[in-house]
Order: sequence, then C-alpha cells, then structure tokens
Amino acid sequence: MATLKEILTRRPVAATIRLTVPAGGARPAPPVGPALGQYRLNLMAFCKDFNARTQKYKPETPMSVTITAFKDNTFEFTVKSPSVTWYLKKAAGIESGSSRPGHVTASTVTLKHIYEIAKVKQSDPYCQYMPLESICKSIIGTAATMGIKVVKELD
Amino acid sequence: ESPYLSVRICCQKLALDMFSEALLCFGASSTSVDEHDNDADENSDKIYIDSIFPECKDVDECILNAANSIGLKEIPRYEVKMGEQCNWIKKAQESFHPVEVTKGLWIVPEWSTPPDVQATNIILNPGLAFGTCEHATTKLCLLLLRSLIKGGELFLDYGTGSGILGIAAIKFGAAMFVGVDIDPQVIKSAHQNAALNNIGPKKIKLHLVPDRTFTASMNERVDGVVEYLSSHEIRGISETEEYDVVIANILLNPLPQLADHIVSYAKPGAVVGISGILSEQLPRIINRYSEFLEDILVSEMDDWRSVSGTKFSPI
Repeated sequence: MATLKEILTRRPVAATIRLTVPAGGARPAPPVGPALGQYRLNLMAFCKDFNARTQKYKPETPMSVTITAFKDNTFEFTVKSPSVTWYLKKAAGIESGSSRPGHVTASTVTLKHIYEIAKVKQSDPYCQYMPLESICKSIIGTAATMGIKVVKELD
Repeated sequence: ESPYLSVRICCQKLALDMFSEALLCFGASSTSVDEHDNDADENSDKIYIDSIFPECKDVDECILNAANSIGLKEIPRYEVKMGEQCNWIKKAQESFHPVEVTKGLWIVPEWSTPPDVQATNIILNPGLAFGTCEHATTKLCLLLLRSLIKGGELFLDYGTGSGILGIAAIKFGAAMFVGVDIDPQVIKSAHQNAALNNIGPKKIKLHLVPDRTFTASMNERVDGVVEYLSSHEIRGISETEEYDVVIANILLNPLPQLADHIVSYAKPGAVVGISGILSEQLPRIINRYSEFLEDILVSEMDDWRSVSGTKFSPI
C-alpha cells in the first residue's frame, strides 16, 4: 500500500512501456530507441543503468523491462527475467504457440522444465514470497493456453 | 534508416498486461500505454496499446498468435503505420540540456549555447554513442580527471563512448588522448565530438578493438582472439607502460578479465580509474584490481561507484 506521502508526491505518469532487451546489451537503437525516444527519455542513461544492473545474468538473455515514463521526462524501470511464455517456447522448442489451444498440441514440456522455470521466476521482484507450487501451477496454466502439453517425462 | 512499424491496438483493459506480454513474445519490439490517451475514457473497458514491430514482421500473424496464446475471444482491432527513425532520434535529443558537472565545468549539447562562456565547456553531439554527461559514472570520472590532470599527460580512455573523458582531459591540459572501444559507431562519434571541441588529430587517436571478453560459449574463439591481438595490438595502440592516466568506464563483466590488460598501459606510479559499476559490484572490482593498484580510493554517487589507484612501481 502506498503511503500518503508517496501518493501526494507521485509524479504524473506519461506512459508505461514494456520491451525485451538482452541482458548487458542495451543500445540507443531499436528496440530501445524508438520505444523510449518518443517520450524524450534519456536513452543513454537507461542503457547504462540497465546494462550495469543486468550484469549478473547470462549475456544476451532477453530480459523483460517495464519502464514508467513520467511527464517530466524522468523514468523508473524494473527488470524481470524473460516471460514465462518465452521460457515455455524455448523448453518446447517451438517458435509460436498453437493457434488453436486445446485442439492441437504444439509441443511438450516436462514437469522438470516447469520446475526449473518456476525457480527462475521465483527470483523476480514480486514473486519472492510466492510458494514454488503456486508458481508452477501458474506456469502449467500458461502452457495450456499456449497449446503446450505438460508430461511427467519425455520418452 | 531502419524503419519500423507502429501499430495501435485496441484491447480490453482487463487483458492489458497479459496481452502486452504476449505481443512481446510473438514479435513486437515494444509496447506502450499512454496515460493521457486513456484518461479521457475512464469508463470505457477498452484501452490502446502502441506497439512497435520490426519492419519485416508479419503483424497480422503476431497479433493473432498473441491473442490466441492468452485465449482472447476476439482478435483486437489494430491500425498499422510506418514509423520513422528521425522522429524518435530528434525527440531523444531533446532530452539533452547543458549540464554543470561541477563549478566551471559544463557539458553542452551541440545545439545549445553554453550558459557560462567563461567555463570549461565540453561540446557534445551524443549521437548514438555512450557518454552522456548526466550519468553518475561519467561525472565521477570527470571529477577524477579534473583532480589528476596538471598538464602534459598522456591519457588512455578505455571504452571511450562519445569521447567525453578524452575531450575533457585535453581541455584540462593533457597532451594527448588515446581512446579505445569495441563499437565502430563510437569511433565515428568520438571523432566528431573532438572536432566540435577543436581538438586536432595530433591530440587524439581512436582505436577499434575486438571484444576481448569471453563467456563459456566463446572458449573456442579464444585462440583466435589471442592470435588477432598479438598481431594487431602492438601495431595499433602505443606500447604498454606509456600512459600517465588510464580510465576504464565500462561495465562490471569485462573488468576483471581485462584488469591485466588495462593496467598494463599505465606507467608505474600512474593512476588507473575504473567505473561503470554499482555499489554491490564494488567488492569484486577492488579484489581484482588490488593485485595491480595501491592507495585505492572509492568515490560514490547514488548507486554508482568509481575506484582509483596507483599502479605498483617496481621496488
């Protein structure tokens, strides 16, 4: 819950921007350039900040970034590990989810995949106090909507 | 130069987060939701997402896949427009204003007039290279340079970006600056910035070097890199142990691997400065660089740190 002070001093927000940027690899060029430039945000400051803060990840891992651009051209951002859908796609070895979820299985992943993904996501901000089991259930749900089947083991 | 597609999509407010994430998964480069667009329609259950796609993407397919992957009942309506690079570059440049780093030292974008003509003014066209005056680490390095340069020094800027540190060094009285970077775009920018500050070719030399850092997957390429370096490096950059001041303002990951290399350029007793690091990354840098440097000093600004020390002299 925000404190009263926080609410009163909250800067007016211009926009919320989301993009995927490789860890340690932000450059003032697409996709960062067009996405941030149009709100007059300092591209170099974002790149430098983002690159320094993602040094602990494997280089080029696609990180999910959410940027809050304020009306005074300042900004804040949070970085999360790649989205669950990205990990599932990787684990299942497919490029896109099934176009008819529930009908055609695009591919399969194992429970071990689900568990590994859950462990990574648990270190994201806002997920730290969620029990691993809940995170796993949520990932299994996402897999279903993508038409990805979850099996115990691969043959 | 690199055109992109700007797509305005109308979707259900409730689906916003999941749909934005799905779009990014299936091909969008970025999504943004403007506050003012959506304020007017507080009672509406719809919201607009502005999404950017690379020109080559099949937007129809991407949106279809994204919608299906989260089980939307209807495919959201959308409108596709061509995006122009000049628009965002121009707007990004508008975020640069003259900045007073410390008393009497200003960084001024090329298109502004220096607020204090008497001060030391570094004119910059930041372009697409790193080295924004406003970043804490650049400021820390500028302050360090200011305290070190007395006149006539040879300065090596490892990771030169826009060339800002080298240009500052010359303005403070250094005799010459050599700038090194792994990005060819940077070499071009730094040359242009030097020219803006009337720094002639005798005082500045810029070199493109290969990215020497390697991760596990690059082990096979290490031999190749070492071979390249031994045949190119000696010819390209001045000999080791030549520089009075060496600064590397880059990032955490390459710094430990490059420690030997960076420090080798400094004369015994010369000062080496390291930055581009956050406070939690500091111990690792100090650990590594204390093998080569003594009298280590740390400066801080917000979450950022810089480290400087003197290279051990032979006993």
